[in-house]
Amino acid sequence: MTKKLIVDGKEIEVEDGTTLMLACEQAGASIPRFCFHERLSIAGNCRMCLVEVEGMPKPAASCAMGVGDLPPNRDGSPKKIFTKSPLVKKAREGVMEFLLINHPLDCPICDQGGECDLQDQAMAFGCGGSRYAENKRAVEEKNISPLIKTMMTRCIHCTRCVRYMTEVAGVEELGLISRGEDAEITTYLERGLLSEMSANAADLCPVGALTHRPSAHAARPWEMRHTESIDVTDAVGSNIRVDSRGAEVMRILPRNNDAVNEEWISDKARHVVDGLKAQRLDRPYIRRNGRLEPASWSEALAVVAEKLKATAPDRMAAIAGDLAGAEEMFALKDLFSRLGCRNIDCRQDGAKLDPKLGRASYIFNTTIEGLERADVILIVGSNPRVEATVLNARILKRYRQGGLAVGLVGEAAALTYPYEHFGNGTSALADIAASRHSFADKLKAAHNPVVIVGQGAAARADGAAVLGLAASIAAMAMAGKDPEWNAFSVLHTAAARVAGLDLGFVPEGGGLDTGGILSAAFERKIDLVCLLGADEIDMAKLGPTFVVYQGSHGDAGAHRADVILPGAAYTEKSATYVNTEGRAQMTAKAVFPPGEAKEDWTILRALSAEVGTTLPYDTLTALRASMYKTAPQLAAIDQAPAAGIDGVVALAKISGQVSAEPLFSPVRDFYLTNAIARASAVMAEMSALKNSTMAAGRQAAE
Amino acid sequence: MLTDKDRIFRNIYGFHDVSLKGARTRGAWDHTKVLIDKGPDWIINEVKASGLRGRGGAGFPTGLKWSFMPSDKRKEDTGDKRPSYLVVNADESEPGSCKDREILRHDAHLLVEGALIASYAMRAHTCYVYVRGEYIREREALQRAIDEAYAAKLIGRDNVHGWDFDIFVHHGAGAYICGEETAMLESIEGKKGQPRLKPPFPANVGLWGCPTTINNVESIAVVPEILRRGSSWFSGLGKPNNTGTKLFQISGHVERPCVVEEEMGIPLRELLDKHCGGVRGGWDNLLAVIPGGSSVALVPAHECQDLTMDFDALSKVKSGLGTAAVIVMDKSTDIVKAIARISYFYKHESCGQCTPCREGTGWMWRVVDRMARGEAEKSEIDKLLDVTKQVEGHTICALGDAAAWPVQGLIRHFRDEIERRIDTYHASHREAAE
Amino acid sequence: MGLFKEIFCWWGGNTWGTRLAIWRQGRLVGEDELGNKYYEQKPGRTGPLGRPRRWVTYKNLSEASLVSPDWHGWLHYTHDTPPTKEDYRPRPWQKPHRPNMTGTREAWRPQGSILAAGQRPKATGDYKPWTPG
Repeated sequence: MTKKLIVDGKEIEVEDGTTLMLACEQAGASIPRFCFHERLSIAGNCRMCLVEVEGMPKPAASCAMGVGDLPPNRDGSPKKIFTKSPLVKKAREGVMEFLLINHPLDCPICDQGGECDLQDQAMAFGCGGSRYAENKRAVEEKNISPLIKTMMTRCIHCTRCVRYMTEVAGVEELGLISRGEDAEITTYLERGLLSEMSANAADLCPVGALTHRPSAHAARPWEMRHTESIDVTDAVGSNIRVDSRGAEVMRILPRNNDAVNEEWISDKARHVVDGLKAQRLDRPYIRRNGRLEPASWSEALAVVAEKLKATAPDRMAAIAGDLAGAEEMFALKDLFSRLGCRNIDCRQDGAKLDPKLGRASYIFNTTIEGLERADVILIVGSNPRVEATVLNARILKRYRQGGLAVGLVGEAAALTYPYEHFGNGTSALADIAASRHSFADKLKAAHNPVVIVGQGAAARADGAAVLGLAASIAAMAMAGKDPEWNAFSVLHTAAARVAGLDLGFVPEGGGLDTGGILSAAFERKIDLVCLLGADEIDMAKLGPTFVVYQGSHGDAGAHRADVILPGAAYTEKSATYVNTEGRAQMTAKAVFPPGEAKEDWTILRALSAEVGTTLPYDTLTALRASMYKTAPQLAAIDQAPAAGIDGVVALAKISGQVSAEPLFSPVRDFYLTNAIARASAVMAEMSALKNSTMAAGRQAAE
Repeated sequence: MLTDKDRIFRNIYGFHDVSLKGARTRGAWDHTKVLIDKGPDWIINEVKASGLRGRGGAGFPTGLKWSFMPSDKRKEDTGDKRPSYLVVNADESEPGSCKDREILRHDAHLLVEGALIASYAMRAHTCYVYVRGEYIREREALQRAIDEAYAAKLIGRDNVHGWDFDIFVHHGAGAYICGEETAMLESIEGKKGQPRLKPPFPANVGLWGCPTTINNVESIAVVPEILRRGSSWFSGLGKPNNTGTKLFQISGHVERPCVVEEEMGIPLRELLDKHCGGVRGGWDNLLAVIPGGSSVALVPAHECQDLTMDFDALSKVKSGLGTAAVIVMDKSTDIVKAIARISYFYKHESCGQCTPCREGTGWMWRVVDRMARGEAEKSEIDKLLDVTKQVEGHTICALGDAAAWPVQGLIRHFRDEIERRIDTYHASHREAAE
Repeated sequence: MGLFKEIFCWWGGNTWGTRLAIWRQGRLVGEDELGNKYYEQKPGRTGPLGRPRRWVTYKNLSEASLVSPDWHGWLHYTHDTPPTKEDYRPRPWQKPHRPNMTGTREAWRPQGSILAAGQRPKATGDYKPWTPG
């Protein structure tokens, strides 16, 4: 049902449920607003969006008034809306004046200056001077989080933060207390914000009441250059915008992508920025006489090349870490295959994912956007809240629409939405797969069922069997339904994993996987191991092997290494990362790597020249062209092509003994999951705070 | 002048037995079944025909309001399974109003009977009476009356009237804003009493998302009598479009402040002279009258000469009947200080949700407060008037309008008084400076 | 040497005209620790300001900031008591007078200047490199 309207003399036709604000914007009129946000519920309390409706004595709040709610004209003619009439102008000036009478004159010291809605709209719609001669009210400061700096005197009570924390982050930690002039936004007494995506509230705040504490007073928005990039702290592949000034990355902000992260990023993705400036590997090191000494590139490459030439192909190995881009993994695989070595693995956590079964067996087939259509979700061995925070928010979004049933097999955790817990162990899985469990009926009756399997299920000794069970449950749930809908979804925790599996960075034809490499190294059957940013393996297991570490940060790998080749972090190179949905996305280079560090693929190219098996590409484009021949899906940037159900069917065929050990999420500490986060002081502070809060909560419970 | 035979509230002063027995002797619960058997449509039409306008302040035609509720047929056609609710607004926080407490204390059975009939007419089985937090004894009295009605099987499940009906008393916690209908719904739901945006109107989406009508205590309490005596009796009283009787609450500078039931459209002078012993010091000692509770603009003495107390006549003089809480002020009143105190009330009671009210009420109060001392400039009077125009009409609920009107009334009628004060202050301070 | 300098490089110190005027009209009031001598016009005479003039002759270089703070007040007619006649006891924390060092090696340099000693201030792009051990 469409309705006709005349907005500022222009006739338009809109759907019945549209609000006046959207209708006016469709007609080309811009409507100022503070409290309205597309992704939050309508509040209608700032009164800045008032427009004049012909026939109504009072102006209408266009963000809340639906086109269908307007009292129709007697003669059936379309209603006239005015957004530029004197009434509207006076209303806007009036509201702006009221907002400014109690707002402190903080612009010079306020971080929001330059990107402040209040500044912009005061310039555009305000009246130019203040008539207020009384005292302004002041609000006590509160410390609610190490990440969010509050100056509540600046608050204009739009309640965007309250609605965000309740509706999107799922934790009802912020509220408006008191009434009238004394109204203030605060948290519960002696409690802070305990959400992994709390920092987005500071983005939403239209004024400088909530700002980001780590980047406070650091830079003005117009000083910074913006680069569109991709986040690699988890496998969601949130779209980010990297703001840099000169050679330094100042902050990271979210970028809008409705298919992946909407408008949110997790706190970790946002605040690892200070980790990019600490513990950086900026020059090559060579271990001589047991001590790592700085060296030049030619020296370091010469040492590594010599070792590579001297080692037999089956006595060397390569492990790719969680932050490695597709280009360098491809180059490393290319180099090692030219050397004849098959001991390569990108699954440093030992996940039993096999790319040979088909792409559908290791990606999030439902897609993140698809979760909004789900009606029954079974989560196996995963805590989506800490593994993929923004994906979890999408499940919460679906839950709030009503009619979603969630079941969890594995470690119980507060997921921000209620779920049925079917035990920590795997027994419930077998029951559901054999249709002995009530949840199996729910899955079978669902229109759009989803089975989410985490690395907590895949990275176990019996991982293949657990994956097989999950896949068979998904196949059972999908049977006889819409063939376009794929219920089986693997939730990854590492940004590099899916690209690695797509490229086939796995042992083939008798090669050793990560576990095999580590035990062989310990038994002195492996002489050389190349680590491409792999810090999460147990370095002790490497024994006396010669370790070459190529990465950006000095973490466990650098400490153990015999040669360190400094590489670039994700903000310093253009690299392809495939997110858990199988969507290939590309980062862009925002700043140069520090010191002597180089982009990773160039290091491997130079190394290959030293070794004698020169890789046949001299530019990134040439490398990508080669890469796309191996893995054409990496060329489909920003697209998540459907992988079909063959992979799921193949995986479901795998059966085996499933151990009764409990399933738990591999992410033990949300804030310290990768080398960059571990180098960051902000993340360390948040981790300490979270642990102390949880310890206090456990004590209180006892 | 209302004759005793036309009186609806026959125990408003509590001289007689307030129990069910006493109420029955005065006519409550008399053949209620007969009225109910006539059907919801008949009831609504009768109330419409009587011309009853909402007694809570806004004066919206009650019968018309009831007709917005979905009928059985409409629910069947749309497959709407939501229950309907009646909410009775006993949050009488308007300064000057004290009629509902008399009804709750002394004539509560009229309210209970009216609630049953009204709920039946709008197909509701449940009614909530929201009593102001400060009315403790009144709430207890109401609860006693309700308990008596339950015990006599007049209400409740399987009652004698054939319409399951439950009535619950909900008490507030001291917020004027909870008297606003949507804020009241929020408060009953357990949330903060912050008004909702309208549309959607409560008749569509009200209490817990269900169709709801909110009516004032007096509006509901007069319904049984109207139905028993006939709509033409009610519409015969008062003036056209302002029919029936009204409980007037006269306070302030009169000899005998009181609550009295009178005909709508009664001349103000007659009301004050006959029932309150006249203005203190004589009619010529009158300075101004606030005719309908603090939310409406004051009417100066020279406009009160032939003024009749009904909705239309008062809106003609740019005031309003409101709740008919007449605040009489004689020439000893510091009128600016009085309006400043009223402005402070609105600043204190603003819920803080929308910008113009949250900031504007504080601003207006501070300026009027300074003007009461004369500590202002003459140009600020027009500035203040402009501010009130910026608040009026731009808010979510009517509290913004209610805060703006008294100040507008003051400036409209007593500008010279404000200017005089400013001159006095400046004169005295000039002396001090020298 | 001093006289030679005074005759042929007269711009660095006291001129002959000054010396003559002071000898004719002035009387010595006192001397400060740096060796500058302070004179006042003999009583009965007044200068252009309508009161007895006061002069300083420097020991070496004629540089206004060489006047020590105790004589500064008297010299600039702020008060009339020369330090020789007052009983001010210097505090223990008072440092010796330091004249304007501009142009010399000890001149003040802004922080971060290459002429100043010390670390350069924090700049955009600084990072903390990893070091082994």
